[in-house]
Amino acid sequence: MSSDLDRQIEQLKKCEPLKESEVKALCLKAMEILVEESNVQRVDAPVTICGDIHGQFYDMKELFKVGGDCPKTNYLFLGDFVDRGFYSVETFLLLLALKVRYPDRITLIRGNHESRQITQVYGFYDECLRKYGSVNVWRYCTDIFDYLSLSALIENRIFSVHGGLSPTISTLDQIRTIDRKQEVPHDGAMCDLLWSDPEDIVDGWGLSPRGAGFLFGGNVVTSFNHANNIDYICRAHQLVMEGYKWMFNNQIVTVWSAPNYCYRCGNVAAILELDENLNKQFRVFEAAPQDSRGVPSRKPAPEYFL
Amino acid sequence: MGAQGKAAGASGGDTSLQRVKVYRLSADGKWDDQGTGHVTVDYLERSEDLGLFVYDEDDHDPLLMHRISTDEIYRRQDETIISWRDPELSTELALSFQEATGCSYIWDHICGVRRNLHFNTLSNIEIGPRPATEGLPAFGAPQANGDAYHVVNSELRDLPLVELSSLPMILKTVVEGAECGVAEQMRVTELILQDQYFFPKLIDLFRMSEDLENFDTLHTIFKLVKGIILLNNSQIFDKIFGDEFFMDIIGTLEYDPEVPQVQQHRAFLTKHVVFKEAIPIKDTIVLSKIHQTYRIGYLKDVILPRVLDEAVVANLNAIINANNAVVVSLLKDDTAFIQELFVQMRSSAISTDSKRNLVLFLQEFCNLSKSLQLVQQLRLFRDFVNEGIFDIITDTLKSDDKKLVLTGTDMLILFLNQDPNFLRTYVIQQEGNVLLGLLVKGMITDFGDDMHCQFLEIIRSLLDSYNLSGSQRDTIIEIFFEKHLDQLIEVITSSCPPKVGGKSDDSGGNVGARVVTKPEILSNICELLCFCVVHHPYRIKCSFLLNNVIEKVLYLTRRRERYLVVAAVRFLRAIISRNDEHLCRHIIKNNLLKPVVDAFIRNGNRYNLLHSAVLELFEYIRKEHQNPKALVIYIVDSFWEEMTMFGHLASIQAFKLKYEQLIENAEARNSINVDDSRKRIDDRALEKEEEDYFNEESDEEDSTSARASCSQNQHAQPVLPNGTGGSLSSISSGSIGLVDYDDDDDDDYNPPPKIMQKISAGENKTENSSKLKRRSISSANDNDEEPERTKKSRAEKNLDSTTAVAAACSNHGCSDSPSRNGPVPSVSNGLPEVANSRSPNEQDSQSEKAVNSTDANVSEPYSVR
Repeated sequence: MSSDLDRQIEQLKKCEPLKESEVKALCLKAMEILVEESNVQRVDAPVTICGDIHGQFYDMKELFKVGGDCPKTNYLFLGDFVDRGFYSVETFLLLLALKVRYPDRITLIRGNHESRQITQVYGFYDECLRKYGSVNVWRYCTDIFDYLSLSALIENRIFSVHGGLSPTISTLDQIRTIDRKQEVPHDGAMCDLLWSDPEDIVDGWGLSPRGAGFLFGGNVVTSFNHANNIDYICRAHQLVMEGYKWMFNNQIVTVWSAPNYCYRCGNVAAILELDENLNKQFRVFEAAPQDSRGVPSRKPAPEYFL
Repeated sequence: MGAQGKAAGASGGDTSLQRVKVYRLSADGKWDDQGTGHVTVDYLERSEDLGLFVYDEDDHDPLLMHRISTDEIYRRQDETIISWRDPELSTELALSFQEATGCSYIWDHICGVRRNLHFNTLSNIEIGPRPATEGLPAFGAPQANGDAYHVVNSELRDLPLVELSSLPMILKTVVEGAECGVAEQMRVTELILQDQYFFPKLIDLFRMSEDLENFDTLHTIFKLVKGIILLNNSQIFDKIFGDEFFMDIIGTLEYDPEVPQVQQHRAFLTKHVVFKEAIPIKDTIVLSKIHQTYRIGYLKDVILPRVLDEAVVANLNAIINANNAVVVSLLKDDTAFIQELFVQMRSSAISTDSKRNLVLFLQEFCNLSKSLQLVQQLRLFRDFVNEGIFDIITDTLKSDDKKLVLTGTDMLILFLNQDPNFLRTYVIQQEGNVLLGLLVKGMITDFGDDMHCQFLEIIRSLLDSYNLSGSQRDTIIEIFFEKHLDQLIEVITSSCPPKVGGKSDDSGGNVGARVVTKPEILSNICELLCFCVVHHPYRIKCSFLLNNVIEKVLYLTRRRERYLVVAAVRFLRAIISRNDEHLCRHIIKNNLLKPVVDAFIRNGNRYNLLHSAVLELFEYIRKEHQNPKALVIYIVDSFWEEMTMFGHLASIQAFKLKYEQLIENAEARNSINVDDSRKRIDDRALEKEEEDYFNEESDEEDSTSARASCSQNQHAQPVLPNGTGGSLSSISSGSIGLVDYDDDDDDDYNPPPKIMQKISAGENKTENSSKLKRRSISSANDNDEEPERTKKSRAEKNLDSTTAVAAACSNHGCSDSPSRNGPVPSVSNGLPEVANSRSPNEQDSQSEKAVNSTDANVSEPYSVR
């Protein structure tokens, strides 16, 4: 089984998607693993934290070059694996295959793009349809999204989540009672964790221009960190041109791992490496060179009627 | 070289084209004049890089030396100015040209340099080893000057005739035209189109070179054709994709100089790929379009996928789409063709293989009809429905050929996406019932490695109450429940281990006679049932109460696969969230939370999805349920001792607290008299609702109450079909408004047999007092029919519940109204509908703004489409 999986991982590393039947088998195995994870998944240091990827497969390969291969490096990905880039299918399947192969060496949590609604608008749905000729692969993948954990806690000191905080969540234990196996709702704690953003000019809670989640200010972060006895919050969800950005006196950091976002934003990307003593090192990297990310050619259909 | 000779006249002197003033932006924001001189492009000393040089017109001292950057730092303004931010000097520089043409010339070179870096190989061949220097040899031969100048300028008049010797020149013209400005690109395009011999001669040259195996020329032709395609002109596409040239054009593209082997595209297209004609197509236009479409797709996806930019791809897709529309509409209007198609498909005389091809053809036909306008597509689908396409799909679903079955379902999805009522209307007809049956069968059939989630999707959209009209909704759900619910439940019961002592590890296929059902199928069934609970709460209630469906679904908690246990919990959660008192009572009576709690306890301290799902269920009951009392008391009374290990959890503590409050409230109420409590009723809506429950008949009356809840016309006088109605005493005729009755129904709250009765005698009294009956018409409950007021009696307990429920279910007053019971958003309908307008995703585009907001572009939505 694992040799099959190893072969699939090698194939995916070449940016070649799996067959439908392989996707199905992979998803079913992933489901068994992910169902055992908690809403606040515990993660041990050393660990390397990565932000949004958004289907930029070749840039994710740069990420692995900088951060080291899985399983040698222990990874935590903060969601938004799919949409916008050209290779959401390959990107997500590679991460999922690594998860199934090395469940203890890679943690995947859910981003706001890991959703049926969002992926129908921002590319993953169309990509599945284009690459497989049907949307079954999309159905399987979005079913898996429902099982992804919502957040992670590193050595009880660093809280990691895709978006941010929620006014309904003041302690980590309150996340425990979310039944996460559902489409990302339009409001409530689960929605907020995946959609909210920290904002300088906000005192307390503010309306989010995104239409979901909230904006939260420094005082909110201070009391959350204090109440839960954590050092800082690590999140993704917002493009930062320098790859990472601290806010509110180093109480929260944004990590962004999609260089030259959408292939045109001109930003650099970063990952955050934590050693066993939780010492931080940001590793900044750039997009893969143009020629290494050409559009792969497709196999022509062997027959046609029309 | 017809452009020759114009240079001198137009420019009024060799050097005026090159005459520029150099400006530099000073620290205080002013443009400082650095002097006037002549600009040239040349290689920087000891470097392969090109630079701009300006030498003073008087003393020939260098005024400027600038390495041309590949970054986009240059701007052209007002025809005569080129400015940039110089990275080495860290300031803005500008060249102000005496003449616009001189400015264009230098601008083209800057573009050229930037392009060459990206297209190294191109520049090496067609532009020559020192491309830029020959451009403006300041004091060199005027002829060379003129040639180079006009080639890149819109004053270009002609293309050289296509000959072996002129190919490099043409290549250069085309490539530079494509890269430098719209005007040049259009001019080059125009010239190619004007020359009617351009392509014939090019193809001749190609054939000749191929015969002679002259690879240098073949490589040049490859680059030329590639360059012409990148011009992205529809008229040119019309020409080269026409029957006359297309195969040869594809031939030229076999000689990519960057690929060591010659490609075999023509061989693939003529020998390997099969054009299947399920029904012979006679129309030559249609045939030609069909082949062309395939070849354009091949060119786009296989030959040049790395080369084409987005604009070209979009243009090619548009051509494909237009072709498809033409093909589909010509064929659909060919009545003879369509009839032949359906006659053949219905015929029993044709071979399985031909039939298979016909179905595959039909699917492709339906698929391509997406290229039609919506109205036309709708009309086509209606025609197909009238021709009996659903009968044909029904046949394919009976096939053993899994590929064929999935083709049939793909077609159904196309129809559902177009308008679900086509299929619904069919399915509720007698002959359409078979199709529904096959869909259910498909859902529970093991497809091995193949994906078959579309069966669930199809059934779901058939049953979706959002877009169902009233009568259809009732009919279709009735047929579905009547014919298939048992079947689905049977799959679950036969795949779960018999009641076990708590260990679920020996479940699954280990038990001898047990059917081995893929867990995926069980999970799909459970999901469908959840969907039904949300969309058809009243209908499903009758069926569920009648057949103990809930209990059977909860067998899933005995399965080893944790996600199935979680699915079962979610199912119970969906039922409880209906806030239906009869269902609640049913749950309590049958101790249906036991399997869930057992699974929770077996799961122990593992903080996993099961753990969270059960805690969420408790939280829901405690915080959001409209009438939590009975459930809270039931749960604490029945399971508290087993759950002490979770006593440290905040939500469990809160649950216990809620329990104590409920008991206390009941006690408090016991101390006030009936009149007082009546007056307070409005302030205490919550309690009122709790009381509503206790107001009602006991659990033994499930059947009666189910009937009541199914019916909206039974406020006053329930008549039981088995004639036992007479034995029901005290049916309050004045049941509208607040009704008091003082009878003491101790057993109104009937805990399951095994529970530990912790309520003291005193507490019991409080219970009773809480049953000082009040009822408001404006019950918050969904089904605000007046419940029957009945006293306990033996007769009721002996009521033939089956008959009662059956009667209730056939009552047409029973209706699941989507407006009143909108599906909860958490149960998703995975169909590819565009997200609704209130969803967050609309905002998403703006949302991912840079935290430091330096790039305005980021706020635009980016779509790969």
